[in-house]
Amino acid sequence: MSNAAEERCFHCGGPLPWAARRTLKVGGVPHAVCCGGCEAAATLILSQGLGRYYEFRESPGPMAAGGTHDWTVFDREASLRRYTHERTDGEREASLQIEGLHCAACAWLIESSLRRLAGIGDIQVNPSAARAALRFDPRRVSFGAVLAAIQALGFVPLPLAFAGGATADFNAERRTALKRLAVAGFGMMQVMTYATSLYAGAMDGIAPDLEQLLRFVSLIVTTPVVLYAAQPFFVGAWRSLRARTPGMDVPVALSIGGAYLWSVVATLRGGAAVYFDSAVMFTFFLLLGRYVEMSLRHRSGLQHDALARLLPESVLRLRGATIERVIADELRAGDWVRVLPGERVPADGTIASGTTEIDESLLTGESLPRPRAVGDTVLAGTLNLTGPIEVMLERVGQSSTLAAVARLLERAQGSRPRVADLADRFAVWFVSAVLLLAAGAGLYWLHVDAARAFPTVLAVLVVTCPCALSLATPAALAAATSALAREGLLVTRTRAIEHLARADCLVLDKTGTLTRGEPRLEAWTVLDPRRSAERCLAIAAALESHSGHPLARAFAHLEPAAQASDVACVPGRGVEATVAGVRYRIGRLEYVLAACAGAPAREAASGAEEHTSVVLGDPTGVLAVFHLTDALRADARAALERLRSLGLVPQIASGDRAGAVAAIARALGHLPQRSDLSAADKLALVQALQAGGHRVVMVGDGVNDAPVLAAADVSVAIGSGTDLAKVSADVVLLGDGLTPLVAAVLISRRTLHVIRQNLIWAALYNATAVPLAAGGYLEPWMAAIGMSASSLFVVLNAMRLLRGAAPRSARLEHTAPAGAHV
Amino acid sequence: MSILYLLIPLGLVLLVLALWAFFWAVREGQFDDLDTPGVQLLLDDDDAPPGNPPASDRDG
Repeated sequence: MSNAAEERCFHCGGPLPWAARRTLKVGGVPHAVCCGGCEAAATLILSQGLGRYYEFRESPGPMAAGGTHDWTVFDREASLRRYTHERTDGEREASLQIEGLHCAACAWLIESSLRRLAGIGDIQVNPSAARAALRFDPRRVSFGAVLAAIQALGFVPLPLAFAGGATADFNAERRTALKRLAVAGFGMMQVMTYATSLYAGAMDGIAPDLEQLLRFVSLIVTTPVVLYAAQPFFVGAWRSLRARTPGMDVPVALSIGGAYLWSVVATLRGGAAVYFDSAVMFTFFLLLGRYVEMSLRHRSGLQHDALARLLPESVLRLRGATIERVIADELRAGDWVRVLPGERVPADGTIASGTTEIDESLLTGESLPRPRAVGDTVLAGTLNLTGPIEVMLERVGQSSTLAAVARLLERAQGSRPRVADLADRFAVWFVSAVLLLAAGAGLYWLHVDAARAFPTVLAVLVVTCPCALSLATPAALAAATSALAREGLLVTRTRAIEHLARADCLVLDKTGTLTRGEPRLEAWTVLDPRRSAERCLAIAAALESHSGHPLARAFAHLEPAAQASDVACVPGRGVEATVAGVRYRIGRLEYVLAACAGAPAREAASGAEEHTSVVLGDPTGVLAVFHLTDALRADARAALERLRSLGLVPQIASGDRAGAVAAIARALGHLPQRSDLSAADKLALVQALQAGGHRVVMVGDGVNDAPVLAAADVSVAIGSGTDLAKVSADVVLLGDGLTPLVAAVLISRRTLHVIRQNLIWAALYNATAVPLAAGGYLEPWMAAIGMSASSLFVVLNAMRLLRGAAPRSARLEHTAPAGAHV
Repeated sequence: MSILYLLIPLGLVLLVLALWAFFWAVREGQFDDLDTPGVQLLLDDDDAPPGNPPASDRDG
């Protein structure tokens, strides 16, 4: 084998084919690219002087699909109405989702390149959301031309239906949250200054008019904090009371509102003490926690409409003799459409003409393409690989299979919040106890010393109030989230960290998870003694270089014998071509044997069952059998052994055939395995494990895994997997291996330990402070300081998770069980 | 201590100014994307693209 397999495409980082090599000169240095699409994209980028993109991007771009797509469909009136919005000045706005957008460099590339296009008003690309906000002048540039320009750079633009893009909503929410936070933060700084003076004055004496001034100023500053910044707490409290499930918002709203009203009255009437500082500080700390939570939620929710992206935006519709490209929305059941190779099927239907191979892996998990002919059913979202087909649509939109998978996914996600329930029930209990205690203390003091009743109630509310307790978990989880991000894991639901720490069962999908998801030539048997293995491989490479079949990629790194001529591809069967004057066939055994009927039958050694076999033959009979396997990820075995030593029992659950799964299981040290599972089977397996008291971590990638991922206690998606899997996953592995999972388990266990410490501290603090407060020994300002100090302790303790920065390799050496090394 | 009667209202004015500036920044979208601008600095450069006018990619 040539070392060319190590060389990668300059643009997309993909493997280079031997056939039809292309090179590109960058600053005089030749670089290889894998295909015409990448070559065109790289040439365009370099010619615009944007070559810095290649220096600063964090990962290679997607393989650039050649410029075959017909974007003019987006100039249709129906498309413009659906995807854009007309401004009063005649310009139009659109929101695009951009596939292949990874990092800031990609965003810069698109912005810089598009801004040179005449008629572009503005384009803002947000890499974390993979979205672009576009404003253009339809009189100077067409919508389709803008989309084509983005595609020319190697990205895939997907216009989003107008009417409330999710990004806009997220931005609005984020902006409001930031404003509230700022009001509370600035307010807190000011009010604390005044409060310090007032406390100092209370001890050392202060001029009455100055004291009154400070109180009035505090009142002025606190009012917007309470009325504007603390609004969410009042709204939340009111809502939870109306739903008869008092949540944490109720005591929060009571103490903020109570402290404020009491202080206003005290200021106007010249009462004994004001508690503006408690109200403001409290608001700020709670808002800060909510802001962190919100950021995490947004990051996970960004890809929510990923499912719709599996459908083509436009499709060729046939009506009588006319063929026109229409957007998918215009399709109805009974329509007749043409699906070209490389396009996705827009809706469920029956093939009316044509033969092809369909990649159904997204829906069924089957990794090999299925041959489909006239009369066969094709499903929405599946990919047409080899030949053009005409499809009679039967189920469109919501009634299609794809929509059904989406509903299955939703149901699985909806059935999960058991844990959330538990937390809420605890909150209700805790809140009710606090309220009862405060009311009891208030009543008691009303009888004993009425003047002390309110300060006592306030002190109880402030001192117990969630701060330490409610910060104990989120602070640790936030710190753990950043620590995990550094290890290459993106946590989309913080709850996952707790579950990961306690998990004892690991269910892994095979294709794309344990394996790379790319077939590789593993072994070969030469059956014709007159041929050398090298010759057979070279002939095979020459033939397969003309096939678009995924298995053909296994031959891409080999040097072909000579140019093959008279090539005929038979979808689902193989390729036939002439090399050096001999007619060869490569593909399925039946297909190859059909060409050499009457030839002396050679023993066609059937490959071991775990391999996928490809047969090469000429008219004299079968020449060689090639065995292909999907290579195991290099780190899979080591990572699984570590995980096992950490107490997670791994097993494989795959939709693939038994032989292939067994081979992988053997290579990984005889893992328990199940094969031929459908999405529903996998779901049942996970639920059975859960019913047996296990906590299950599910690692997968395909869309068909999405419902299973949603049902598992912790779901992990491989970064290179389909986007939909990431949507329902709690944790996304950003890299291409399983090793970060080990660090994830270790960090999550340390996190759990820190959370436990924090909760114990908070409980001890509350157990001491509450009786003191209820007994009237604490002034509200002491309660506020105590509360802040205990919050600070909790936050600092959580920060240790960030600091635990032993070098990555050293950290992997730890194999101690939960909490043994904190 | 009468200077406080000047300084404290002055502090309030500054507070309002600071808040106004922050609100303005939020409204302008300064906080919408905190990742890209940092890298943009490294990427953007003054030297013009070598002679190739941008119109070439418009024939979509």
